[in-house]
Amino acid sequence: MEDIKTYIESGVLELYVLGDLTPEERLKVEEMASLYPEVKVELAEIEKTLGELADSYAIEPSENLRDNFLSKLSFNDEENNTLASVPFIENDQQNTLANTNTKDNIIPLNNAKLNFYKYSFAACFALLIISVAALFVLYNNLQESKEQLAVLQSSNQDYANQVNYLDKKVESTNEILSVYTNPDYKMVELKGTANSPESKMLVAFNPKEQKVMIDMKNMSMPAHDENHQYQLWALVDGKPVDLGVFDGVSTETVMKKMKAIDKAQAFAVTLEPKGGSINPTLEKMMVMGAI
Amino acid sequence: MIKTKKITLEEPVLIEALQQRKAIGAEALYDMYSASLLGVIFKIVADREIAEDVLQETLVKIWNSIHQYDATKGRLFTWMVNVARNLAIDKLRSKDFRNHSKNQDIENHVNAIDEQRNTTYRPELLGVKDLVEKLKPEQKKIVELVYFQGYTHVEVSNELEIPLGTVKTRLRMGIMELRKYFK
Repeated sequence: MEDIKTYIESGVLELYVLGDLTPEERLKVEEMASLYPEVKVELAEIEKTLGELADSYAIEPSENLRDNFLSKLSFNDEENNTLASVPFIENDQQNTLANTNTKDNIIPLNNAKLNFYKYSFAACFALLIISVAALFVLYNNLQESKEQLAVLQSSNQDYANQVNYLDKKVESTNEILSVYTNPDYKMVELKGTANSPESKMLVAFNPKEQKVMIDMKNMSMPAHDENHQYQLWALVDGKPVDLGVFDGVSTETVMKKMKAIDKAQAFAVTLEPKGGSINPTLEKMMVMGAI
Repeated sequence: MIKTKKITLEEPVLIEALQQRKAIGAEALYDMYSASLLGVIFKIVADREIAEDVLQETLVKIWNSIHQYDATKGRLFTWMVNVARNLAIDKLRSKDFRNHSKNQDIENHVNAIDEQRNTTYRPELLGVKDLVEKLKPEQKKIVELVYFQGYTHVEVSNELEIPLGTVKTRLRMGIMELRKYFK
């Protein structure tokens, strides 16, 4: 036992723990440790002390070192294989790797910002697209409405025109009616002469009011060229009196009012140069009728 | 950056995870030991940047040579500290390192150590700046040479011209002295 104590106190166990022995000396110590529990306990005690000493110097490494270290290793468990994609790297590359990792450590803060902008941009862009689409739809609707409005307006115009036309028609019909139903009017039928046996027309004569109307609607006269016009004459005591000119084809009025006269024995129509003549061209008498 | 929760495993579980090359093993290795290992490395190389490089190297070496660790022959931490010490001392002695520290004069060196130290002293050790400083000068010298400068006891014996047995005894006495602080 005395030997063991001397052995322990020789300081060889400290050297063993510090790794300062030759392989043979190490084997000797290990043999002693397996034989004598005291040696084993002492070794543990020295290890503990030197461990505490090492601990007492502890310094927290730089933050990036951990990732840097882990990135250099390759692991057997699957999920971390990507982390260890670079098993062996030259020194220079290690430095760049360290730099990359340093940056990597900073990125999360920026990332939040970057993400915010990213999402904001995406939201704005989406909004823009939706707005453009909505605008397009609205524009189309507007165009459609405008078209419909135009159609309605034109059909409205059509109706208005129709109403106007009907109004006029009613008016002229009323006019005709008022002439035909007025007992003061004498209806004189002018019949075709040899020049134009088929022709005929009606003249309404109101001696009371000195009115002469011709019924344009029920007139049947041959067409004339644009250089000629028909002229109505009244025969008053054997003399022709000019009552004005009219066109053979007219849609303007139904009853055309001619010049005033208070008495007449007969009416006749001649074809005269445009504007009428002072004296009737008797050879061109078309129709004639006595009262 | 918000620190993620540190992973801690029981030593046998950690060893198994490391041997099976599981990610959790690497993470636990880092979370449990990186600070202590960096402290030891920094104490040796006295340069924060170099110390972190050596720490990386150390952790990778631990990861790659875990099969060399024999749990029957000692604690995992002891083995890891020795890996760290060896790499740090190699660095200290390398041409690379001498070129790097050429510009730093020795006077400033000591201050630099204090300044660069972002230490996380443990509460129970508050006020204990450097326990080795508390040792008797002859013990301190030997502990420093062996522990932090990688001298073998034979080299120390030659350097200080003291018998081999005395070197060993003083080393032991120094460590015994340190033991008091951790009781």
